[in-house]
Order: sequence, then structure tokens, then C-alpha cells
Amino acid sequence: MELIIEGVSKLYRGKVWGLRGFSLALGPGVLGLLGPNGAGKSTLMRILATVTRPTEGRALWNAEDIVDSPDAVRCALGYLPQDFGVYPNLNAVEFLEYLAAVKGVEASAARKRIVELLELVNLTDVAKRPLGGYSGGMRQRVGIAQALLNDPQLLIVDEPTAGLDPEERVRFRNLLSELSGERIVILSTHIVSDVEAVAARIALIDRGQLIVQGAPEALLQTVSGRVWEVVVPSPELDALRQRYLVSSAAHRSDGVHARVVADHAPGAAARPLEPSLEDAYLSALAVRRTQAAPCGGTA
Amino acid sequence: MSIRAIYHIARADFLERVRRYSFPVTLLFAVYLAYAAGTGKAALRLGDYRGVYTSAWIGVNMAMVASCFISLVGFYVVKNAIERDRATRVGEILAATPLTHTVYLLGKWFSNTAILGVQVAVLALASIIMQFVVAEDPHFDLWALLSPFLLLALPAVMLTGAIALLFEAMPILRGGIGNVMWVFAWGMGIALAPLTGLEWLDFTGLFTTMESMTRAARAAIPGYNGEFGLQIALGRPTILATGLRWPGIRWDLPQVLLRLGWVGVALAIVLLSIPWFDRFDPARRRMLSHARRRFRQEPITAPAAVAEPTAARAQPTPRGALVHLSPLRGPRSWGVYRMFAAELRLALKGYPWWWYALAGGLIVAQGASPLEISRGPLLTAAWIWPVLLWSAMGAREARYGTENLIFSAPRLLSRQLPAGWLVGVLIAAVTGGGAAVRLLLARNYSGFLGWLAGALFIPTLALALGVWTGSSRPFEGLFAALWYIGPLNHVPGLDFTGCANGAHTVKDACCYLVLTAGLLISAFFGRRQQLRCG
Repeated sequence: MELIIEGVSKLYRGKVWGLRGFSLALGPGVLGLLGPNGAGKSTLMRILATVTRPTEGRALWNAEDIVDSPDAVRCALGYLPQDFGVYPNLNAVEFLEYLAAVKGVEASAARKRIVELLELVNLTDVAKRPLGGYSGGMRQRVGIAQALLNDPQLLIVDEPTAGLDPEERVRFRNLLSELSGERIVILSTHIVSDVEAVAARIALIDRGQLIVQGAPEALLQTVSGRVWEVVVPSPELDALRQRYLVSSAAHRSDGVHARVVADHAPGAAARPLEPSLEDAYLSALAVRRTQAAPCGGTA
Repeated sequence: MSIRAIYHIARADFLERVRRYSFPVTLLFAVYLAYAAGTGKAALRLGDYRGVYTSAWIGVNMAMVASCFISLVGFYVVKNAIERDRATRVGEILAATPLTHTVYLLGKWFSNTAILGVQVAVLALASIIMQFVVAEDPHFDLWALLSPFLLLALPAVMLTGAIALLFEAMPILRGGIGNVMWVFAWGMGIALAPLTGLEWLDFTGLFTTMESMTRAARAAIPGYNGEFGLQIALGRPTILATGLRWPGIRWDLPQVLLRLGWVGVALAIVLLSIPWFDRFDPARRRMLSHARRRFRQEPITAPAAVAEPTAARAQPTPRGALVHLSPLRGPRSWGVYRMFAAELRLALKGYPWWWYALAGGLIVAQGASPLEISRGPLLTAAWIWPVLLWSAMGAREARYGTENLIFSAPRLLSRQLPAGWLVGVLIAAVTGGGAAVRLLLARNYSGFLGWLAGALFIPTLALALGVWTGSSRPFEGLFAALWYIGPLNHVPGLDFTGCANGAHTVKDACCYLVLTAGLLISAFFGRRQQLRCG
């Protein structure tokens, strides 16, 4: 089971590149696709889900081109788009039954699967109510259930935790961990903690291009020994931000405790910290943007 | 402040609409109307005669085409001003501002007027070109040419824009029912002034034009019988009455005030929309509020708040372990029957019991009535009743935003499209089933062929329009207009039930079958394109 992405690009109308020369090879496990808003994550997801055609390049699912033979990947695909609708007059069971028929899941297997999925996403109690009355988070859970309906080998989830409460978010992360052993899961998000929790491999994407990819440990290595805590008075925080990459800041009674990513200690009182994935992510983005715009700069 | 807000609401709405890909299509419609009017395919006629193409004649001819056809079709073009804000969720942002209902609705009305006004302007421009191209009258009178657009067509489209807004504000008329109703309302509006003889009921200006033209024709054309009409006359030539140089409508003060009165009526309709406008409050929306009321009566146990774990690497949830999913074994089920059953349930879901009761009543009545009543008015009624079921075909995915979920499924083209089409055909066959049985029992096979062509044509038209436009409105508008002209008014050839086609029943049925095949192929290719790329 493998998914190979080779130099995939997408040019939108108005000559805007949504994705440029993206290449990656994937095997079973969770890939966390991280990037800021507008980085091209959803474009890549839509291409892999056969909803959008790439302008250049190709993607191969088990050596079959997904543009030439979309049904090969569609048979194995579970897709949770970032934005999706539901039929408001159907209830959750009816909606999932409809999608099971669309996905070709055999009727009796579908019935059993739907019961399990509704329990999994905590919707059993409201399963017979029209979807038109569901909250955003409940609809999102219906979306998660439909993505798992055909027991997919390739699961693509785009911002799946949007609208979920903390408990459901953790449940979903655990679910992805459990599912990842036997299938390829692509989790696209801009929430670093979601990726941190489940991804065995991370790909950073910005402005349509792959910046870096590898195991979380390798990414953390890029900021090893470069993360510091500095305590500054509140009025000096802006000046600190001008000079260094500040990944977080918290106000305390003795001043602002700022988490700084820098090659050298930003002051005599700076204390070294264990790096986090968020530090690595922000640092990689900052480096990339510095290279893209040499006049600007971060330390 | 309010005027500025009205201006910006109208401006933003107008820009958003003209930058959509559908806008050039609506402009093409206006260009086609100009072409039809310019070539005499849609023209004012005085029986078999027409006057000399003076500035006044050309202007009023084009203005009447604009006034009548843009008011009919333009309703469907602009009846999404509020809906777009709802769909894009801009409405919720606006609802949380101090913006008043009046300011918002006036802004939308001006935008509606501007959109339709652009179409009127296309015809006005075409009329100027036409005078120079035709060159029947060398004297160019700009006021005579353009005044019908300003005083006849513009008030008519302003009224259309206001009515579209009222329909959007009223929950019952917001959807397909309103789209179908508009054809009848428009037809009544056109007929009201000629039937009553009251000029102040003439919203399009057609009656006013008729009064002025027929008066001039009686004086200039010997033996003129008083006939007048704006007709779509394909291949029917007119005789040029060289003595008739119609000077145009005399715009005295009462006449101008009468026309401006329609702007006042339009404004009143916009203001009438205010109490109906829900300000994007989902709780005030009829269908959802019903569902939510039921929902709130049985509250869900709120999950306890759970703090985000700091090092959240796959920990068990505080409320127990995950449900384990059984692996899915066994072959996939690619049969069309299962898909058909799923599509049928989806199509029929959400209709109240009385909808089925009336449909059932019509079927029984068709079976129990004399043949001509059964295949005539009863079949006509039976085949308008499921219009909203048909109009969802092909457009449901776009309407509810489920394309990403459904179009990423395998083997869709060979299963979902045929299944959806068969559901539409089944609905036509069942709702018109009484008449079909009567035709077969009477051994009226040509009549049955006509019925069969209709039963296949309606859902196929719906599917093709739904697939290509992603909206229910084009089918609802077109089908209602066709139904009004053909089956209801017995226009031969356009009666897709086959009842009014007389000796041409078999020939017309064959034409409809060929058209149906073409539409089906176009729906197939449209869906294939949707499935192949975004």
C-alpha cells in the first residue's frame, strides 16, 4: 500500500499557484500535513481525493495514476473535506446509509458499520434526528463517520478537529492513532498539537511548496539547543519580537515569559528549554520566509 | 450614513454577482433577446402589419421585449440576493451589526435593479445599433428611442427585483414553490390590464403601448382589425405598413406619473418584505426551527469539559476507551438497484403526508375520470405537483454542498446518475400513472406514446439542467413556463403531455424523445466532467 506524489502542481484561475512541485511518498501510518492558512493543504487533499485535477505532476495509488484511474483510489478512500454539507431532512443513519450505497458498501455490512460508527463518534443518541438540527461539531462528527464508512485504506482528513469540543478532539486523535497501523492517514491541519499527538511523520507546507518532511524527532532536532526562555517587562515584548522569533509568551507577576527560537542565547538571563514541535514549525516557516524575502529577517 | 450603507450593500452585492461566471450567461440572454427583437423573431405586431422602424418603434419594440422577458427570466436571475448572504455566511456577520432591515433590503433591491438594468441597457444599446443597421428611417430621435427603456422597461424590472426580494424574505416562497408561483404571477400581471382595460394595472407597459399603437394603426392602415401583440413569430413575416410612422408614446405628466407609480409599488413591496425578513436567524427559519424545536425538547447530555492534555500523544479519553471498528469484509455492492433505492428515499424524504395524499388523489382521479379529462387537466396537474422533487435532480449535491463527499466515491457515473434519473422517471410514471392506464385501456397508443415522451422528458430536463447549473431554479422557472404555455394553455408542440398535439401527437412525441436523449447525454457528460476534475 503506497501513495506516491510526484511533482504535483495546481494552477488556479488568475494564474495563482495553489500547489507547486509537491512530491512525497507515503506508506502506512499518519502523515501530519502542517502549514499556515492558504499554504495549499486543502488543494493537495482535494487532488489526492480525486475531487480536483492537478495541473502538473501525478499521484499514484498502488502504482495507478489517480487521474487516469480515479476509481482505484476512490474504492480505498475515506475523505473528510474541510467544508462539506449534509442533507438536512435526513437523519444521521439515513445519511450514512445513502453514502454507504454511493460508496458501494454492501447493505448488511453497512448497517452494522453505521451502528459502530455512530457509537464511535458519540452520535447514537441523536442518530434519528434530522441533520438540519445538528450543531457544527455534530455535523463534523457525521463527516468523520462517513469518512470511515468503507473501512478505507487511505484516509484523508482535512482540518478534522475544527468545531469539535476538547473531549471529541482527543477521541478523534486516539481514533486516528488506532487506525493508522493498517492504512495511510493524511491529517491536514494548522493545529500543531493535533499533529504532535498522532503523526509518525510530518510534512510542512507553505505557499504551495513542501518545506521539510520527516519524523517529528528529526524536526525537533532542527531547533535543538535553539529554544530559550526570556523574562522581559511587558513593554519590551514588542522589541523582543522585532529581534527574535517568539513562539509563545505568557504574562506572569515577574514579567512576560517569552519562548524564543534563536541560534544564540538572547541575553545573559536566557534559560535553555526543551524544543516543541510548534517551535520547529514556526522556525521552519520563518527560515523559509527569510529566504523568500531577503530584506526581511528574523533571528 | 444610511444612504452610504445602502450604496455599499448594493455595490458589494452587484460586484459579487457580476464577477460570477453565471453573469456573462445572463448577459448572453439579453444579447439573444436583442437579436430576436432585431430580427423580428420577438416583435410587436399589429396583426400581420408593422410600422416603419422609426426610433420610437425600435425603442418601444426592444423595451417591450426587455420589459416582458427580462421581468420573467430576470426574477430567477436575481432571486438569490439574500440567499447568497446566507450561503456565504456573510449574513450572520451583517446581522450582528447595527444595519437595519430597511437599509439592507433597499441595498439588495438596488443591486437587483442594477443587475436587471444592465440587461435592459444591453437592449437599449442594441436598439441604437439597430436603427443604423436597418436604416428604414434616417431620422434619429434619441428620446423616442430611449424613453421606453427608462419609463417602461426600468420600472418593470425594478418591480421584478422587489418581488424577487419579497419571495426570498417569505419562507414559503423562498424555495421552489416561489419559483413556480412566479410564472403564474407574471402571467396574471401581463393579462390583468388587457382583461380589465385598466391602464394602471399594466406593469410591463405593454397595454400602454398597445393603446397608442393601435390608435395610430387604425388611422394609418385601411382595414386594420385592432390585433396587437408581442409575439414570438418564427418564420411568420410581417407586412410593412409604410404609412404608419408611429411617433411613440406621448409622455405627458399623468403618463409619466403612472409609470413612476410602479417604482413606488416596487418600493412598497421592498418595505413589505421587512417583517418577513429573518435577519439570518436560523431559529426563525421554518424548516430548521421545527427540527430544532424538537431537538431542544430532548436535550443531549452535555459532555463534561476536558482540559487539553499538554503532551497529548494518544492518551485514552477521560470517558473511556474507543469503540473498536470491525473490519469491513465481503465484496462491494455496485448494483444500480441499491443506489436507486437510496436515491428514491433521498428524493422523497421531507415531504408532508398531505403532499402524498394529493398526489395519490390525482392518480385515482386520473383513473376514474373520462379519458380526455384524465390525460388533460388531471395529468397537467399531476405533473406540476412533483416539480420540486424533479428540480432537485442533478443539483442536490451542489445545493447542499455534498459534492466533495459524493464525487470522491467510486463508479458514480454508472450508478448514481442512472439511479437518480430512474427515480425521476418513476415519479413521473407514478404520478401520471392513472392517465397512462386510461390511455392503454382505450388502446390510444399514440396518446400513450405522447405520455411516455412526457414522462421521460420532464425528469431528463430536470437532471440535465441540475447537473449543468448546480441549481434548482433554472428547471423550476423553465418547466413552470413550459407547463403554463404548453399543457395549461394547450399550445401545440409545447404540450409535453401530448394532449393538445392532435394529429401531430406521434411526431411531437418523437421530437420529445429525441430531445430527451440529447438531454440525457448532456447530463452524462456534465456529470462526467464534474467527476473528472474540480
